[in-house]
Amino acid sequence: MPVYNFKTMAPVPSASDLVDIVLTRTQRRTPTVIHPGYKITRIRNFYMRKIKFTQQTISERLTTMLADFPRLSDIHPFYSDLCNTLYDRDHYKLALGQINTAKQLVDAVARDMIRMVKYGDSLYRCKCLKRAALGRMCTILKRQKASLSYLEEVRKHMSRLPALDPNTRTLLMCGLPNVGKSSFMNKITRANVDVQPYAFTTKSLFVGHTDYRYLRWQVIDTPGILDHPLEQRNTIEMQAITALAHLTCSVLYFMDISEQCGYTIEQQCNLFRSIQPLFANKQLVVVINKIDIQPWETLDASRRAMIEELIKESGSNTTMLTMSNVSEEGVSQVKNHACDKLLAARVDSRVSGNKANSVMNRLQVVYPTARDGVVREAYIPESVLKEQELRRRQGGGGGGDAASKKKKSRIGYAPTVDDEVDGDEEELDDIAHESDDEMLGSRKKKTARELMWENGGPGVWAPDYREQYDLDDPEWRFDAIPQILDGKNIADFVDPDIDEKLRLLEEEEDRLEAEYAAANMERMDDDDASLDEMEKAQVAEIRDRVTIARAYKERSGGNNRPALPRAIRGRVKDCHDDSAKLKASAIEKRLAKVGVDATQMLERGRKREREDPREKRRQSRAARGSDNGDAEMETEPTEEVSGGEDGRRGLSKGAAKRQRKERDESVKREQSLARSHSRPRTPSEMGLRDSTMAKVAKLAEKKGQKKWFGGSGEGDHTKAVHLVKWCNTGKKRNGTHYQR
Amino acid sequence: MPQHEHMERHRKLHGRRFDAEERERKREARMVHKRSEFAQKVHGLRAKLYNQKRFKEKATMRKTISQHNERSNKHANDEAVADGAVPAYLLDREGVSRAKVLSNTVKQKRKEKAGKWEVPIPKVKPVADDEMFKVMRTGSKKNKAWKRVVTKCTFVGDNFTRKAPKYERFIRPTGLRMKRANVTHPELKTSFQLDILGVKKNPSSTLYTNLGVLTKGTIIEVNVSDLGLVTTSGKVAWGKMAQVTNNPELDGCVNAVLLV
Repeated sequence: MPVYNFKTMAPVPSASDLVDIVLTRTQRRTPTVIHPGYKITRIRNFYMRKIKFTQQTISERLTTMLADFPRLSDIHPFYSDLCNTLYDRDHYKLALGQINTAKQLVDAVARDMIRMVKYGDSLYRCKCLKRAALGRMCTILKRQKASLSYLEEVRKHMSRLPALDPNTRTLLMCGLPNVGKSSFMNKITRANVDVQPYAFTTKSLFVGHTDYRYLRWQVIDTPGILDHPLEQRNTIEMQAITALAHLTCSVLYFMDISEQCGYTIEQQCNLFRSIQPLFANKQLVVVINKIDIQPWETLDASRRAMIEELIKESGSNTTMLTMSNVSEEGVSQVKNHACDKLLAARVDSRVSGNKANSVMNRLQVVYPTARDGVVREAYIPESVLKEQELRRRQGGGGGGDAASKKKKSRIGYAPTVDDEVDGDEEELDDIAHESDDEMLGSRKKKTARELMWENGGPGVWAPDYREQYDLDDPEWRFDAIPQILDGKNIADFVDPDIDEKLRLLEEEEDRLEAEYAAANMERMDDDDASLDEMEKAQVAEIRDRVTIARAYKERSGGNNRPALPRAIRGRVKDCHDDSAKLKASAIEKRLAKVGVDATQMLERGRKREREDPREKRRQSRAARGSDNGDAEMETEPTEEVSGGEDGRRGLSKGAAKRQRKERDESVKREQSLARSHSRPRTPSEMGLRDSTMAKVAKLAEKKGQKKWFGGSGEGDHTKAVHLVKWCNTGKKRNGTHYQR
Repeated sequence: MPQHEHMERHRKLHGRRFDAEERERKREARMVHKRSEFAQKVHGLRAKLYNQKRFKEKATMRKTISQHNERSNKHANDEAVADGAVPAYLLDREGVSRAKVLSNTVKQKRKEKAGKWEVPIPKVKPVADDEMFKVMRTGSKKNKAWKRVVTKCTFVGDNFTRKAPKYERFIRPTGLRMKRANVTHPELKTSFQLDILGVKKNPSSTLYTNLGVLTKGTIIEVNVSDLGLVTTSGKVAWGKMAQVTNNPELDGCVNAVLLV
């Protein structure tokens, strides 16, 4: 909730003052010494700085001004309307708008002139341009003379507006002039409002504060309102109307029945009717004032009827009270009544609002239906009944005055829990009140707290809880209780049925065990019906091993891989290494133990191993040749090799040599061809020497693409700039970074 | 007594000093001497400004005094009331002093006598080329010096397109291009901001005219269609000549006088 404090607005200087402020500031805060001999860039910068600085100062000043003044659309409608009444909304907006335009114009001037200064070729020219720029800016400011002086007046007035909070608990007085609004204000608050015996003594809203029920209440005194149409109302009356229209409050409509104010009761009634629309949704109290001069009872019947009629037609929520400021009769009643009414309304609105609903939705009240016709009265113990009877007899004489006393004493106090709930609680309240009475004190049982205070307060005396023990023989209460008795912990024997309970537990355990065994037996029988004893034993052993293996696996970290990589399954190089776990015989033995025939697997592995050397050679040659992906290249050399081998047998040594040479040549030619022809290659392997390098590259690539946690995405892949050493280190002589 | 008018409230509660009025009167009376003391002491720019301000104050004072006196002065021009019968519609007419009209016609005639091309600023200091142009060195070694940059404000038409840098001898910087001029109508004594249509004549050189350089004394054509001026033949004039009266490169704006 915004706090409306218009006192913090900075004063608005007049136009000529503003010019002085701005120019002085520029003179004081920017360098002042410049000579024509300086470098032209320095001269230009000197003057550009001056222009820019002036523009910034002006801009800053005007911006604070614009920020300080509240926007009428943003503030509470009450203040917005009040400002409209007092300062004229259009005028206000226009003034602020002009200030804003001036700010923009100054910015534009500075921008243009700085651009011109950039082309200045002499100190004289730059200086002339600066002079022109400052002159133009100051002219713009001077044109705002009227707006600035208006805003200053507005600021002064606004800062003097009473600090009125539109959202708090408020009492608002209204009525014709001279009916006693301000006097009432002076009676219930310390506002010290001027009271004079002529109309329109109060020319603006006044705020005072009063206390009721430990709460702070805002009391607003408004200027008198005359009975004429809205258009004809002047500024003074409009303030009252604004307050009536926008504040959620308790309205006190004052009527002077002595007619000393100069208006007849009829006129006062007419005014009431004409402003009645403003009383909608407000707590209305019609205050009949000045009953010291003209008591309500002796008022002539027709006028009385008039007022009563008025109240009747204004709705059920309106109440009428009489009072007199002079004799102070009924002043506090009026105040209290108005406050109570508003408080109740505020509570109501809160309860009916959404906030209350969210709580109410969670509450559930259940009314049990009667199950039979039996009447079940509340049980009141004998002693309580006796006490009540006693109290009734004693309280008979002073009951009435006790009640009144109680009521009186509670006026002006904050609401307590029992204020919210009346009726039944009242009685309890009474009990609490009268408990202090000495008359009943002797009969009343003292509480432990009271005893504590009597015996020296907390820390000195504490109640003995053993008194409350409920034992077979009350004498046992204060006996000491040992922890160990006859070598036994007595805590074990607190429960008298402990043996019985233990027995039951054991019985249950036995029963469950038997049941489980039976069930197990049944299942075993189902599975292994066809197996003999030996086989059953084996199955049991295998199962055990599997369980153990599984457990071991889980404990060892559980990486989900086959124990043996597929590539080396059955391929065993070192037959002499007995410790090798991957030896064929070892594997066979191990798998046989688990009940798996490994011969097939081993056979497959061996087959691969056998064809391995040729395969390897072929692969390496292909890689050297260039291209692994090319199927043709892959198959060709193998054929050649086989052909060569076939042919070698029948050839002479020289021919064989020549052939070998030829073959080498052809391979080389093939490779060079592959190098020179632009064949499609896997882009990832372009420019790599051989397969190892390709592998390394692939690994590096993978590593690079590995998900980096905490990154936002692909955008995080960065490539550092490669700095060439010779370009970036060493002395910077004989050239530049880029050119040597 | 609004709630925060502390001074008024205090005055109301406690009254003022007994000698308050006397002190105020004395302060007022002392003001004259104080001001004169300051006026004698002050020097430099402050003195200039102060004197200006004071002069204005005095002038307004004199004016208001004469206005007050005017009420008591008798101006009725009764000598020209016609004798004899006068038609009803002329009954309450008094003689009109024609002095003003006469002086106007005399001025008009004098003006017509003067030459048609008499301009507000007849003599203009010539601008030399080396003041007008700055040499721009080009080439990768900055050893060529055939380009020129105009250092004064220029007017460049809307449809101007730069030549290729190789052929561009004169550069008119964008920061110094002007589009509008503050034109004063000499008879109406008002000024308007009008669009410049073109540069008609730069008195220093035809080259400057071609380049559209705006210097003091340059004749420019401005768009007066907004003013609603009418030519002798009854057409609405939209282009009119004006002469530049300031140094635009020093002021950052173009001021001109309409030639009528």
